[in-house]
Amino acid sequence: MARERTSSRPPRRRGMGRRKVCRFCADKTMVIDYKDARTLGTFLSERGKIIPARITGTCSRHQRRLTVAVKQARTVALLPYTTAYP
Amino acid sequence: MADRRYETLVLIHPEQGEPGSKELAARIRTLIEEQGGTVSQVQEWGFRDLAFLVTKQRRAFYVLFEYRATPKALQEIERNLTLMDPVLRFISVRQAENAPPAALRPARRPEREEMEFEEGGDVDLVSEGESS
Repeated sequence: MARERTSSRPPRRRGMGRRKVCRFCADKTMVIDYKDARTLGTFLSERGKIIPARITGTCSRHQRRLTVAVKQARTVALLPYTTAYP
Repeated sequence: MADRRYETLVLIHPEQGEPGSKELAARIRTLIEEQGGTVSQVQEWGFRDLAFLVTKQRRAFYVLFEYRATPKALQEIERNLTLMDPVLRFISVRQAENAPPAALRPARRPEREEMEFEEGGDVDLVSEGESS
């Protein structure tokens, strides 16, 4: 799902290169919900860290909401804080 | 006092089993109602694997309550939840007035076979979390 990333990393983003779009702005039906671990998971790194908006292209408004949702999901163990535990 | 729309997700200790968890869910429901709340929906998600160990448990019975209550009542509900021993964790979130009711069980992974685990140091590092 979180494809965007790999394909759109031009060495210099001047002039050309595909502009990343916020997935939540592009698809209005998509809601940020802490209960939806599937979707939120696509915005986490393998280590369970939140991927910066700079990489996913999420707009700042949605990134803020996303961050809150991820943290809420973590408190109820739907998402990991980290994978580095024994 | 104006009442607000809240939802609370509760994690119940797996020791309670399914019947015990349902019973506790019913108890929490009456608790909310006793506080003057009106429950609009109770969703039992059933047992789910936790993303990490919580009080040494790897699974929990998830129940979601949607209701209207006053902020005071919420405080009291939360206080009571913390006193319930079989409740591992919970989270209460205020919902927008116009938000649609929670859809039935957001994307759930297929039931994983109950596996044999040795004690300690057995967390699978590779097949982590929900990320797909």
